Amino acid sequence: MNGRPAWTTWLRRARPLFGTLVEIGVHASHADDHGTIDNAFAALRDVQDCLSRFDVDSDIARFHRLRCGESLLMRPATRQVLGAAGDLQLASGGAFDISLGTAPAGWRCEGDRLHKLHDNVRLDLGGIGKGYAVDCAVQVLVAHGCAAGWVNAGGDLRAFGDVELPLQLRDEAAGGTRPFASLRDGAFATSHFDRHSRSQLSAGAEEDRRPAHASVAAPLCLWADALTKVVAVSGDTSHPLLARFDAQAWLHC
Amino acid sequence: MRVVLAASAIVAGASAAAPTSAFAVDYLSAEQAAKLMFPDADAFETRQVALDAAQLQQLDAQGTRGRSANWPVRVAKRAGATLGFVVTDGVIGKVELIDYAVGIGLDGNIKQVEILSYRESHGFEIRLPAWRKQFVGKGSASTLRIGDDIANISGATLSCTHVTDGVRRIVAVVALARRAGALA
Repeated sequence: MNGRPAWTTWLRRARPLFGTLVEIGVHASHADDHGTIDNAFAALRDVQDCLSRFDVDSDIARFHRLRCGESLLMRPATRQVLGAAGDLQLASGGAFDISLGTAPAGWRCEGDRLHKLHDNVRLDLGGIGKGYAVDCAVQVLVAHGCAAGWVNAGGDLRAFGDVELPLQLRDEAAGGTRPFASLRDGAFATSHFDRHSRSQLSAGAEEDRRPAHASVAAPLCLWADALTKVVAVSGDTSHPLLARFDAQAWLHC
Repeated sequence: MRVVLAASAIVAGASAAAPTSAFAVDYLSAEQAAKLMFPDADAFETRQVALDAAQLQQLDAQGTRGRSANWPVRVAKRAGATLGFVVTDGVIGKVELIDYAVGIGLDGNIKQVEILSYRESHGFEIRLPAWRKQFVGKGSASTLRIGDDIANISGATLSCTHVTDGVRRIVAVVALARRAGALA
């Protein structure tokens, strides 16, 4: 079946998480849809608790307090995200770097332990954590029997089941939104890179520099989110890594 | 996975030349949010908390600007006993208006924060009182009904700092009001 009848109702809720607005939508069919959405929000919160630099008890904040040579036990979410980040750093030749240049070789995962290898290293999972969290929330919704829906963490989003999700892009310069695409059974993420970012999109003569966006569609939101950074840093919408993750990319103003 | 580009995105090469529109979603009414936060409540009593000058100064001293002296607070009750409090508020960002509700338990901690509605504009409208007024006390008959579709926005990640600041302010206001006996 393609699409839903017009009278289908969607239950939508939103909460502030990850420093942005997170929306969950499900095809309203169950008696306890609100309870299911609450559980998905709890999964998002769990990931935030592990990864947020601003939460003193997060694995990342604890890592920042370590001394060089020390290590800590990671929670499962941290282990998964850092594992993916390490793979992507290697595969992208360093274009993807969660240390944001502070010390790309300053951390290493071994099993469930995270080692600090450089005093200056600071990790920022803002470029991959939200995507992973969206995937976790979708897993919860599906496990609770939701047939269709979506999770949108401030523009890093994923749709599942029988829904064509219309995507709008925000016009950062003038405000408002414009239609961009429809998405079915996949993830989509957009990152904004201004003239101060370390992106090829903002390179060139000063007068040519304009705010720019990189959008990526991929089956999983973790990859869509992370690959926007690879596309922006390389300026290449045909980057070889995109094919590896079955992803497509666009650059736009 | 399937991605189908919109006609305007193909024609305009996804440039800013494509026409833009405002965007709005209603999530929950204040009553629905209060019931979700306190499902065991059998009644919600609304109290008007009016902060005096000294209390507003106290908020300022805590680094939480009071902004308003008057705060309606829903008190969640069960068989006459207080379960907690729900306060709704609205904040304005660069291009968005967000209404939200904060549930606070008897321990003074945040129980839940729910977004009630979201309005994304072109930015200039939200500085016009007439545009903003249409959302004050809005119900299901809001004049802006673009939110019936299920479109989702992608773009630079929207900052929720103003919501976070608002939540902090509400927690401080409820704590002050309780200390003053206004919510007993």
